Amino acid sequence: MMAAFRQIVLMTGKDLRIEARGRQTISLVVVLGVLIIVVLGMGLGAGRPVTGFGATAILWVAYLFGGVLCFEKTMAVERNDDALAGLLLAPVDRGAIYAAKLLTNVILMFALAVVVTPVAILLFRFDLSAHPLGFALIMALGMIGFAAVGTLFAAAVSSTRLQGGLLAMLVFPLSLPVVIVSTQMMRRLFQEGEPLGGTGLATLLAFDVIFLVLSWIVFELVLEP
Amino acid sequence: MSRTAVQPIGSAVLESTPVVQVLSLGKVIDDRPILQDLSFEIARGRYVALLGANGAGKSTLLKVLATLIPPTHGQLLLFGRPLSRETTAFRSRLGMIGHGAMLYRDLSALENLVFFGRLYRVADPTARARELLEYVDLARRADDPVKTFSRGMVQRVSIARALMHEPDLLLADEPFAGLDAPSRRMLEQMLQRLHEEGKTIILANHDIEQSLALAEQALVLRAGRLIINGMTAGLDPDAVLAEVSGS
Repeated sequence: MMAAFRQIVLMTGKDLRIEARGRQTISLVVVLGVLIIVVLGMGLGAGRPVTGFGATAILWVAYLFGGVLCFEKTMAVERNDDALAGLLLAPVDRGAIYAAKLLTNVILMFALAVVVTPVAILLFRFDLSAHPLGFALIMALGMIGFAAVGTLFAAAVSSTRLQGGLLAMLVFPLSLPVVIVSTQMMRRLFQEGEPLGGTGLATLLAFDVIFLVLSWIVFELVLEP
Repeated sequence: MSRTAVQPIGSAVLESTPVVQVLSLGKVIDDRPILQDLSFEIARGRYVALLGANGAGKSTLLKVLATLIPPTHGQLLLFGRPLSRETTAFRSRLGMIGHGAMLYRDLSALENLVFFGRLYRVADPTARARELLEYVDLARRADDPVKTFSRGMVQRVSIARALMHEPDLLLADEPFAGLDAPSRRMLEQMLQRLHEEGKTIILANHDIEQSLALAEQALVLRAGRLIINGMTAGLDPDAVLAEVSGS
């Protein structure tokens, strides 16, 4: 277990070092996220107060598209010069490779959220003051579930020529339960004033656990050296 | 030379045990038989040339030997043990140089080697990486990103990566592809040196004459079947070429 944890830290560190050097993924993902927020702002009329429920929907659009780009770019690092084969040749559990890539994607998605969310707050005057921690928790759990599915399918389609379009087509429908549950939870939290917890949080956690476990198990099958 | 911290499996196996034993091995991909009924042995310390035309199954066989893909049927024994168990432990005794460099182009040569060294649990990966960069004559470029290297230099870093954990079996899939004459010569000498140090080497190569000159044993594939398995000393390049092309 400790060996696997050590390998996950090593591989995530490698991914983040590559990212820090080129900033190829985060810069693209953040620019895309901000563009989506601005375009939606122009369409919906920026400056109008938006409730937590609406805020979640708008932010999810930016997170979904930014996320797909993020998953694709972080997996492309492994396909360049056949680096993935180097990992597969090493005495490393395939599950650890998945976990490391997932961790990288979650960190980059959180970085996306840190930039995009304040932009949206400014543009739409989101009022999250009632439950800022609840908002952060729901979005974080949603992102983890989304990244769990996205990381798996990014590995599966990375050896095909379709990539971007195919990845979005596969990941968006599968991530729908997470998006629906998190927006419903946000509505209850901000509009109906229900406290955080209960079935909503349990459902979101259950989706995360199911997606994580299934993806960990099948990851080896989708990897193609 | 530093040793890896991992205790390699099969370390107690007799010196006389073949490093590779293949019994009726086959591989089917998309309903197409890529490898058919292969049986051969490779002794410890042997330098083997794997020859065949494009699509003969050389790369697939190397991937099976490298534990990257499982055989569809038949048996593969590495270091005297069946592959079906402890696959991860086998990997700590294998090294591979492939078509691609298997390196991260945004990282420096040293960073790449240290990263892979840590994955293989090499005792002092930085010292080992520097030692290998000296070995492949790239110590001066240790801190430069791999993306700034020429093809020949990348291939030398790739060899250093494959040797980080001191593998007993080195698999080389077309390592001379795309190299200029001086780089080819340097790589030939490097492989020869490794052979003299006792490594078992399996070299897949298109150049029959070069392969027969370098290696001791030749395995020749045609349409996934083994058509020649013999010592190179008695083989005529023209006859092998005729067998490879099926003429």
